[in-house]
Amino acid sequence: MISLYKNLFYQSLRIRMVEEKIIEIYPSDKIQSPVHLSIGQEAVAVGICNNLLKTDLLYSSYRSHAYYLAKGANLNKMFAELYGKVTGCGKGKAGSMHLAEKSVGFMGSSAVVASTISHAVGSALASKRLNKNQVCVATFGDGASEEGSYHESLNFASVFKLPVLFVCENNGLAIHSTIDQRHSYKIHEHAKSYNLKSTYIEEGYDFMKINSLISETINEIKLTGLPQVVEIKTYRYKEHVGIGDDHHVPYRSSKDFDNWKSVDPLIQDKTLINEFSEKINAEIEAAVNFAEQSEFPADSELFTDIY
Amino acid sequence: MSDTKTVISYREALYQSMNTALSESPEVVIMGQGVDDHKGTFGSTSNLAEKYGKERVFDIPLSEEGNTGIAIGAALNGLYPIQTHIRNDFSLLAMNQIVNTAAKYKYMYGGHFEVPFLIRMIIGRSWGQGAQHSQSFQSLFAHIPGLVVIMPSSADTVLESYNYAVQKYKGPVISIEHRLLYDYNFNSNYNSNSNSQFKENPFTSRLIREGSDITIVATSIMVIEAQRVSDYLFREFKIDCEIIDLHAISHFNKEMILKSVKKTGKLIVADTSWRAYGVCAEISRIVCETDPSMLKAPVVSLGMQPTPCPTTKKLEDLFYTDDYTFTKKIIELVKGKNHNIPMTERSMNEAYKNFKGPF
Ligand SMILES: Cc1ncc(C[n+]2csc(CCOP(=O)(O)OP(=O)(O)O)c2C)c(N)n1
Ligand SMILES: [Mg+2]
Repeated sequence: MISLYKNLFYQSLRIRMVEEKIIEIYPSDKIQSPVHLSIGQEAVAVGICNNLLKTDLLYSSYRSHAYYLAKGANLNKMFAELYGKVTGCGKGKAGSMHLAEKSVGFMGSSAVVASTISHAVGSALASKRLNKNQVCVATFGDGASEEGSYHESLNFASVFKLPVLFVCENNGLAIHSTIDQRHSYKIHEHAKSYNLKSTYIEEGYDFMKINSLISETINEIKLTGLPQVVEIKTYRYKEHVGIGDDHHVPYRSSKDFDNWKSVDPLIQDKTLINEFSEKINAEIEAAVNFAEQSEFPADSELFTDIY
Repeated sequence: MSDTKTVISYREALYQSMNTALSESPEVVIMGQGVDDHKGTFGSTSNLAEKYGKERVFDIPLSEEGNTGIAIGAALNGLYPIQTHIRNDFSLLAMNQIVNTAAKYKYMYGGHFEVPFLIRMIIGRSWGQGAQHSQSFQSLFAHIPGLVVIMPSSADTVLESYNYAVQKYKGPVISIEHRLLYDYNFNSNYNSNSNSQFKENPFTSRLIREGSDITIVATSIMVIEAQRVSDYLFREFKIDCEIIDLHAISHFNKEMILKSVKKTGKLIVADTSWRAYGVCAEISRIVCETDPSMLKAPVVSLGMQPTPCPTTKKLEDLFYTDDYTFTKKIIELVKGKNHNIPMTERSMNEAYKNFKGPF
């Protein structure tokens, strides 16, 4: 049996290699859609989703590739979606910013900051009322915690005692604004004022650590039915949107970047990278091929799906 | 005066207007997400924080409703805030403050208060903007008494309107810019030193091409499309279009439109948004309420298809009005459906072809 470490490593590496493939394809203009890459942040999605059942529901932001994959959605359908093809998870209507896959409980990814956090709360309300025994997860960035609806959601979940896991992926940036320009509070500390349990992990590259904390947290949520907040510090390797590096721009420092890379298992663990790359590459090539071969949606698709 | 003709881009005009606001009016502050970063709101606020200080040009948290209320409070107490939404879509989070307080502050308290401030919002289009980065909310805002809503379609309409808003106007102004206009170059006649600068209120419409066959009322980037289509139709078929740049969506020049339609008897409205309950509907209302008999043919309106915006280019191309449809509709209106005019040109606007996001 493959060890937990290897399993989580494999999943994280797979996400990274998928996004590196996107970077490779992007200049060809076959992917005509803004992409918000998760490179550097994969461990968070993997550590969370490893503890979720398909029936547990997860909502994320536009930075959604990692969640889509970690929640178990289909890679072929992802590349097809990025290519704007009808075989994509959203028939080409979604693109990178709106990946979703109902069959695995990946319930949506919105391009309007913080707009899905409340959906997780509402889904938890339904789960409780209908005895569905699910955990509902909202993942969002540090910037999203500045929106009123984040606070409204925490308050509601706490007052109504709902099984929600709120995970803040704190990469310290909202586009190019650093967190000290925007925050008078610490997310995990401040969350406690809503009378819910909140924890913090500094090592956002460490999928083992994230996995074990989330595992504990989810067990508690299932047991108590009460919401919790987890804040995970992480690091965005690429520019906010697009495929470029922007460490030459003074808003952040390449020293921080070097520090993260020096502890990033997906860079440091060369043995496992070598062990897994071939298999992952083959899967990715097949998915890209699937996307290339697929058809664009028929014109009539423009008018389908409007309720 | 007008012999100081220059060519400037929409982006440069925006930058100049922001720069002028800060240099001429000490009460101006620019407070918006990312206004001080290296991308500088697509170049329209670049380096202004360095130039005027971070007390006057500053980044703010992702809290649109609160931020708008804060701008209103600042305006009530002597500042002139300029706010930005890098997509029109995000302004929906500020709707409560814009509609329920800013728009009503003067009237609701019996005229004792002024809320002078400017909110700039940018429409996205093309290259996979998708359902939540492409919306165009002029009619939502223009529906509300108390708001001035403009859609500058050129460098000069930016300069005239923004300088007037900051220096003369005492109420909330919503300006909806178009991302794909940023790289367009325009001939500019704007002369900021001229004494006549504010002789005329710029919050009105502009007759930008005289013609006798048909009236085109257009907004924002559709004004550029209207010009290209009109040039083509005149060159090839001697069809002579009159174009009105609506510009002030909330305060457009009704007389100008009515006079033109009276002359041509034909009306086509080209807007950047959905047609239902929108600009197209409103212009038709004005004509119908005044004298529908001035129309020699039914009104034609062009806008987005009545769906959310699809991300894939294949469907996005169908979602927006293209030049071909625009041209065809005009020919049909002017010459009748059996016009026998061969239509070959199926050109898409260069900007749409060249725009490579991601933003
Ligand atoms: C309501 C709203 N305001 C502004 C934006 C523009 N915007 C897109 S992403 C972003 C930064 C969000 O930062 P964060 O929540 O930390 O997420 P990250 O991108 O770091 O994952 C902003 C301001 C938006 N999409 N929606
Ligand atoms: Mg962030």
